[in-house]
Amino acid sequence: MSAVAGERVHAPAPGRGRPAARVAERGFLWLALVPTFFFLVSFYLYPTLFNLETSLTDLSLFGLKRGGDWVGVDNYVELFRSGDFRRVLWNTIVWLTLAGVGVRIALGLALAFLLNSATLARWRLQTVSRVLLIVPWATPPVVAIIVWRWLLDPRVGSINSALISIGVVDQPIAFLSTAGWIWPALLTIITWNTLPLVALTFLASLQSLPDELVEAARIDGASRWQLVRYVYLPHLKPAIVVMILMSTFWTFNNFVYVWLTTGAGPGLYTNVMATEVYIQAFINGRFGYSSAAGVVMAAIMTVFGLVYLRVIARRELQEERS
Amino acid sequence: MTPAFRFGRRLGLGLLGEVAVVLTTLVVLFFLVYPTAWVLVASFKTPETMFAAGRWEFTLQNYVKLLDAGFGRNILNSLVLCIVSVAISTVLAVNAAYAFSRLRFRGKDALFSSVLFGQTFPWIILVTPVFILCARLGWLNSMASMIFVYVAVTLPFSIYLLVGYLRAVPESLDEAAIIDGATRFQIIWRIVFPIMLPGIVATATYAFLLCWSEYLFALALLTADEMKTMPLALYLYFGENVTEWGHVMAAAALTTLPTLLLFLPLQTRMVSGLAAGSVKQ
Repeated sequence: MSAVAGERVHAPAPGRGRPAARVAERGFLWLALVPTFFFLVSFYLYPTLFNLETSLTDLSLFGLKRGGDWVGVDNYVELFRSGDFRRVLWNTIVWLTLAGVGVRIALGLALAFLLNSATLARWRLQTVSRVLLIVPWATPPVVAIIVWRWLLDPRVGSINSALISIGVVDQPIAFLSTAGWIWPALLTIITWNTLPLVALTFLASLQSLPDELVEAARIDGASRWQLVRYVYLPHLKPAIVVMILMSTFWTFNNFVYVWLTTGAGPGLYTNVMATEVYIQAFINGRFGYSSAAGVVMAAIMTVFGLVYLRVIARRELQEERS
Repeated sequence: MTPAFRFGRRLGLGLLGEVAVVLTTLVVLFFLVYPTAWVLVASFKTPETMFAAGRWEFTLQNYVKLLDAGFGRNILNSLVLCIVSVAISTVLAVNAAYAFSRLRFRGKDALFSSVLFGQTFPWIILVTPVFILCARLGWLNSMASMIFVYVAVTLPFSIYLLVGYLRAVPESLDEAAIIDGATRFQIIWRIVFPIMLPGIVATATYAFLLCWSEYLFALALLTADEMKTMPLALYLYFGENVTEWGHVMAAAALTTLPTLLLFLPLQTRMVSGLAAGSVKQ
């Protein structure tokens, strides 16, 4: 991997003139790439290996300076036997990732079609709606979480007062502490904050679809559903695939939404892998165990990363050919 | 008969359909904008009238009190940290992106793949080891180690975005300059840089936003109050037993303002760059 940066960077572009120029070229490559790979190796590679080593010890917060004792795979055994960890996996994979990504892609598509509709252009709402769509994206997650926690609050929140005033409910709902409501509420916050990027990506893709294609299909008598099914969706497919992959990374790895909204609670009801890694290390002081959880997380993401690389690599190749 | 109605008919949408689309859009936009707009408005209301729907008392006291409570220090921390990190990371990324895009060398694919892989890397896994290493070396609560972290987290996607923008710069320009005897660094900073300045600005802006709202590493590595960044300080005001709503709203507004101001003018370019599918939140 990146550790070999130095050794491999020695062959400049072939046939570029005199030897002096070739030496200069090689010098440039070194200067251009070594700083970057210094950061990548010392921030990504080395800590990952260090993490792997820590996961095989019982390093604790109090033994930081001294180091931990070797315990072999004990941490992993404990991890996989733990019922808590199984729930963490379930929360992370089913709720946070599958449900979270699914909702975002579906709403992103709907929003992109809505903002692309000819009606909005005729009513001169296109530009203003696109600018306003950026607002949630430009809101830092911490701010988004604070506002939404207030909006969802049972005593002062405006969602509850709105629901009561239109008569949908009689009693305010404590969205962030009632079992059935917590995950939908959390997903609402995450979706609100991250939907614009997904919707804008789909919108950009829709706008790159040639009008003639749609026109031709319409002349051939395609119904609206057939248009979506056979013209729009195939065109959007690459964007959808990339967005599914990217949102999966963001959501699976995200710490801040769950931690600042529910603190993984009540109890550990909404605990996910990212918060588990943090809690074990910084609250319980069990760095060894936390590292083992981190290694499991990294393993899952590595599989995903390989898929991502394949997709991106294939797309780059296609672009080069065209 | 209004023009809208006629066009609508041609598309199979009656006037009713048109109105439905417009109303849906307005409802969706309200939902998207309301939370952020509320923060900005509430930051100018007295804490007593903040939650009252009809009442409204304008005040600047929230901001005055916030700055008295020492928030200026947090603003300064965030600004210095983000600006320095982005400057370093962008310069490094321009050079690296140029090398990846223009030169041929052994192991290029593997190296570029490892850059892409950096983007997808779960930061949470790095927090524990980075914290342990910094603690051992006595580097907690240090601006330098935070700058190191922020350069490292922004580099991979900056390189990826810039490689994309570089594709649009014709290579014939480089070739001509090489024949004239220019070095690669001269080509980058005198020829390529001015041409792709818009792309570089977009990349740097996105990197800035990433650092500006970063929470996790700041939480782990900055424990002293006087070192904390704006998001950390903001959440502290919120999280204390009795929430100081005046402080919270003013701090939230100040944290949001720079990102809003940077995001809006860049929106179109941002989308075309990001549509390539390459950012991390």
